[in-house]
Amino acid sequence: MSAVVARSLRKRYGSLLAVDGIDFQVEPGECFGFLGPNGAGKTTTMKMIYGLASMDEGDLSVLGLDVRTQRREVKARLGVVPQESNLDNDLTVRENLELQAVYHRIPVDGRVDRLLESALLSSRGDDRPRMLSGGMKRRLLIARALVNDPGLIVLDEPTTGLDPQARLAIWEQLDELRERGVTLLLTTHYMEEADRLCDRLAIMTSGRIVALGTPSELRERYGQETLEGVFLAITGREFE
Amino acid sequence: MIALPSPRAAAAVWRRDLRVFSRAWRGTLLPQFLDPVIYLLAMGFGLGAYLAEVNGIPYERFIASGLVASAAMWAASFESTWNVYWKMEEARLYDAMIATPLEPQDIVAGEAAWAATRATVYGTSFLVIVGLFGFIASPWAIALPLFVALGGLCFSMCGLAFSSLIPKMDYYSYYFTLFITPLFLFSGVFYPLDRLPDWVSIIAFLSPLHHLVEITRGMILGPELLSVLGHSAWLAVVTSLLFLVPARAMRRRLVA
Repeated sequence: MSAVVARSLRKRYGSLLAVDGIDFQVEPGECFGFLGPNGAGKTTTMKMIYGLASMDEGDLSVLGLDVRTQRREVKARLGVVPQESNLDNDLTVRENLELQAVYHRIPVDGRVDRLLESALLSSRGDDRPRMLSGGMKRRLLIARALVNDPGLIVLDEPTTGLDPQARLAIWEQLDELRERGVTLLLTTHYMEEADRLCDRLAIMTSGRIVALGTPSELRERYGQETLEGVFLAITGREFE
Repeated sequence: MIALPSPRAAAAVWRRDLRVFSRAWRGTLLPQFLDPVIYLLAMGFGLGAYLAEVNGIPYERFIASGLVASAAMWAASFESTWNVYWKMEEARLYDAMIATPLEPQDIVAGEAAWAATRATVYGTSFLVIVGLFGFIASPWAIALPLFVALGGLCFSMCGLAFSSLIPKMDYYSYYFTLFITPLFLFSGVFYPLDRLPDWVSIIAFLSPLHHLVEITRGMILGPELLSVLGHSAWLAVVTSLLFLVPARAMRRRLVA
């Protein structure tokens, strides 16, 4: 069973066609990336998967469940790392993870300690999230997404705005998840990140998927040495 | 179609608020406990020096029994307006909740339950103070917190309905100046409504605070049980119907 199957997925905001009929499939255990400029429809696609955006047309199934009719069930099996931190600053770092377990109706057992440890935040459990650095916040967001042992984790631009070291720490956190067989679905606009992390990539512009394949397939198909070259060959060299 | 909240999911939202409140009440939320006390001292004893009795009730007792209701209204209103809007639009906490099995109607139910809890805490605290003044004349007062919770729930739903519809926080000036403050002054907390023109009774019937004041005054000074039941029924019906507004608007807002 595929982790995600999207067929002719379409989403409109007023007169803006944010997602214009896309098809893709994410296989269990792989890391699938959406690459594209801001406004390409990547975030909207992620939001439709994790229930923060409704879909207008098409079919979307996540872990074998229909996102339209089985919202709670889908979300119970997902982990979500949003683009912008929505950590709860009225609670401590530890309480953020504890309440996440409460929202998921699972016992707050030793998992909170384990997650703090793997996010390298054991010593910061009693701090408020706002006291953390950007990289730490992102690691906490990932730890929060793992509270329910999800089979699929959706990450929207997991390293945007981070310094190289913080980015490396996130990549290592994600490598660990892949080794454990967790399916990852992420968006990025860093070619380097896409190359480093993703088994397969979908390149998106203006709400459409314009190319799909493994990084090496894409390089070969477009006769480019780098993903950057592929990206520019597809989207044109002009910058807005 | 009405999407009903899951009680367990709503309870999870409630638990989050309780956790935050259990740390904050001794600090920034403490002055709110004193609000009705100040009104009681200023109006009850100040004005009471000129007004001996209202409808046969000593004025300070009349007003104290009404202020239990308004304390609940204020507490529920702050919680279901500024606090909810902050969580919804600034901290984006509801986005994080929606990404878990929680759904918009659970958030509405959980926040309403929490705001009602806070209303009950503040209303009951003031009820104890009223008791310390020796103003409680009826043993029915012991059951009053339940009814304060019901009234609190009604005000919470009013606040949530408004919060879920407004595009920015500034609109709360309308809510408080044109809704909550007039309710506070025209719902029979400070003077009885029965000798005012007939149209006042229509407004009184529409005011949730009036119904709660009738309940608190009755149960503190000696209730007519049928009347308490009638006012409670009004609050329960209005609260249930009102739930549909924030439940729908919150979904449109959070699941765009």
